[in-house]
Amino acid sequence: MTFIQLVLSGLALGAAYALVALGFVFIVNATGAVNFAQGDFVMAGGYTAIFLTSTFSIPMVLLLPLVAVITFVMGVFLALIAYFPLMRRPPATVFISTLLCGMILQNLFLIGFGPQAKSGPALLGTGMLRFEGLEISRQSLATIVVAAALIGLQYLIFARTQIGRRLRATAEDRDMAEAVGIPAKKLIAVTFGIGASLAGIAGALLANQYFVSPTGGIPLSVFAYIAVVIGGWGSLAGAVLGSMLISIFQVIVSAYVSYAVATGALYAAVLLIFLVRPQGIFSERVQRRA
Amino acid sequence: MKYSPVTRAGGVLAKGIRLPVAFGALALAAYGVFFADPYDLRILTVCGVFALLVIGFQFIFGHAGAVSLAQATFFGLGAYVTGVLGATYDFGFLLTFPLSCLIPALLALIIAVPVLKLEEHYFALATLGIGLVVVLVAVQWQEITGGTNGLPGVPSVRFFDLEIRDRRELFIFVWLLVVLGAFVAYQVTRGLYGRVFYLVRESHAAASCLGIDVSALRFGAFILSAIYGGAAGALMAHVIRVVSPENLELPVMVTCLTMTVIGGRRRIAGAIVGAILITYLRESFRILENTTLMAYGAVTLVVLIAAPYGLIGAIERLRARFLPEPIEAPPPMQPLNLAVDTEHRDHRPLLDIDNVSKSFGGVRALEGVSLKLGRGEVVGLIGPNGSGKTTLVNIISGLYEPDRGQLSFNDTAITRRPPHVISRLGVARTFQHINLADELTALDNIALGRTTRERASLWRSILTLGLDPRLQRARCTAVGAAELLGIADLAMSPCGALPYGTRRRVEVARALATEPELLLLDEPAAGLNEEEQRDLAQRVRRIADHGVTVLVIEHNLVFLRSLAERLICLDHGQVIASGHPEEVQRNSAVIEAYLGREEAADEILAIEERAS
Repeated sequence: MTFIQLVLSGLALGAAYALVALGFVFIVNATGAVNFAQGDFVMAGGYTAIFLTSTFSIPMVLLLPLVAVITFVMGVFLALIAYFPLMRRPPATVFISTLLCGMILQNLFLIGFGPQAKSGPALLGTGMLRFEGLEISRQSLATIVVAAALIGLQYLIFARTQIGRRLRATAEDRDMAEAVGIPAKKLIAVTFGIGASLAGIAGALLANQYFVSPTGGIPLSVFAYIAVVIGGWGSLAGAVLGSMLISIFQVIVSAYVSYAVATGALYAAVLLIFLVRPQGIFSERVQRRA
Repeated sequence: MKYSPVTRAGGVLAKGIRLPVAFGALALAAYGVFFADPYDLRILTVCGVFALLVIGFQFIFGHAGAVSLAQATFFGLGAYVTGVLGATYDFGFLLTFPLSCLIPALLALIIAVPVLKLEEHYFALATLGIGLVVVLVAVQWQEITGGTNGLPGVPSVRFFDLEIRDRRELFIFVWLLVVLGAFVAYQVTRGLYGRVFYLVRESHAAASCLGIDVSALRFGAFILSAIYGGAAGALMAHVIRVVSPENLELPVMVTCLTMTVIGGRRRIAGAIVGAILITYLRESFRILENTTLMAYGAVTLVVLIAAPYGLIGAIERLRARFLPEPIEAPPPMQPLNLAVDTEHRDHRPLLDIDNVSKSFGGVRALEGVSLKLGRGEVVGLIGPNGSGKTTLVNIISGLYEPDRGQLSFNDTAITRRPPHVISRLGVARTFQHINLADELTALDNIALGRTTRERASLWRSILTLGLDPRLQRARCTAVGAAELLGIADLAMSPCGALPYGTRRRVEVARALATEPELLLLDEPAAGLNEEEQRDLAQRVRRIADHGVTVLVIEHNLVFLRSLAERLICLDHGQVIASGHPEEVQRNSAVIEAYLGREEAADEILAIEERAS
């Protein structure tokens, strides 16, 4: 495979990662907390897609919206059990509670679907498309298109709509937002829902080519986390860019060396970034108010 | 008053929940030594291994307050060192065990430099990343580690001519090491240095402005965690006789976290209770293999929500609520030594700020600020919101680095020196937002100001036997500081329960306890009623009479008028006026800065209209 070919498949993977990382950033911005169950929602999306297509013969057009709704509800539920009871505690507490919820999810998958990795349905059918000597699978194309559409949509919602402004106000200062009559708690629950459904959609998109397994979400949580660190804590554009960098790096190093080396080198790179720029690659250095 | 040893021992045991804990420990020891069957002995031995792991994890997670996800890494690494050296090279325990502690400590040492500076979330991620790299190495480096299959044939514990074969002996051996580990942990946490952790969790800035080297403290806690993790790993290798990558992986980390959260993140008894409960829980759920972790998760989540301090913490709080202990009498007072050497009081300034600038992104907070503070002066720093007052105080105390300009204190350059170094030179401060450790008494909060003067450190606390003389002395001096602020009668109450005005004074007393030459007060009168303000002004005046130089940020000119000999006004990051309070207040630039040119004009118009 040529280098450009690799970049192209990296982009498809990156598009899916970007959805996961975006969901992660939404929750960071709304609550200041890290949702360590984010990767498990990717698996939840994958399993939901597998379950829906194998049990009912629903048309492909309806698959993604259904996955989005189901994982949205799961996300809201996560907020109810892992965030709201702990929201006045240090942020690390929520990190732990989401980690625990992720673990509960992993075991639910194990009980419901067994330990084997499973492959999900293809959205636009299988097979490759050829274009100017480059190949791209239909599924990769579908992933890129859906992710691009969703990223564009979230940008529009945040920048142009009243609900977007309210979400941003809640992220800025929850107590202040409540004081001016914004239902901050509801919005936070919605944010968890959106974060989970973005991950779920990514899971449904990835399930066809990358398999779904009970513990497959853990590295994805870590990748989303890394993408957000690389891109600058809390930056939406940075999260997308960070995801692209990670996935292209992974695809290329895996192709030339091995997946283990790619993963190891990725973590090593993150530690190096911490050493040189503790504030992330793209962010301004922010000093805490004393 | 003298008490017999028996009464004293009774008094010590009656504190907190020591009595039931002691009974529990005795019962556990008796059960293990005399009654347990081989199956139970094995589980109890594993409990001991996890107890050691968790006691170690409490240093970084519970005491230093940083979410480290590397504890399983240290554990697995310790296991591998013992496994490889024992199974492959047939080394004895006296060599493998110290190395199993040392090599994780070395890893911690290497990663501490980039990682410990990081903020909360980044620290968690970085430690997680390191753990994942170590797992990859263990799996890939097959010729040494045996890859995914691991290394079988780890020998039993052997030293000199002894070999521990019997399960009961191994149980006793492991738990003796737990007792040793618990003793060291107790030493670290019981004295003055142990109380420093409470403040560090609350605020790094406040701790470092008392002269406490926060990085060194976190570093010490991290290294200790690694040593305990490695020791626990080594023992685990001896108990299960196999080492494999499983020891390094996330489930071990989650187990460790679960035990810590359930038992209590800061209590040794919590570590042991957590380890025993979870190990037995895991054993009894073994039949339902897949649901084990789920049960863990659910139980921990419930404890996390319902009992934030773990089971031991919950019991402690129950006791405090239903069987409250009498409030102790404060220790004898030791006056502060605030007398600044007046013979050397000459015309050279104490603090010399020369042309200091600072911007945040595009915002210029300070622009070419120069000012001098004479020895023994009381100066008020005024200016509208956002004029750069707090930024200036943060630069003086070392929390911010200036972009340009020089600062010197007592003829020593302090530009870009870390806050704890500046504090040790004799600069103390309070904060606009109160930073106190609510769980400690007011007295102990003030005593934290003595950490540097008493030279409290990790090593010294481990090596101190009996009562910690540093804590005793610090408390006596703290009573002296509390008296200067008029809060000595409230000093023995927990800080969290005190009213706002008193908490402000506790902060001033704590700063004073460092015996500073320069005291920086950031809006000390904010939120106080007039009576309290007048009282505070008098007390600060008296402190200044001892020779302490004071710089007060304040909006309240009435408060300043009775206190300050000189006012300095900042606006838009520049000094716009400096001089006698009356003069500065009449200065047109100052009035304009506070009211704005147009508003000032409007105000005058409004007054004229009302008059006409």
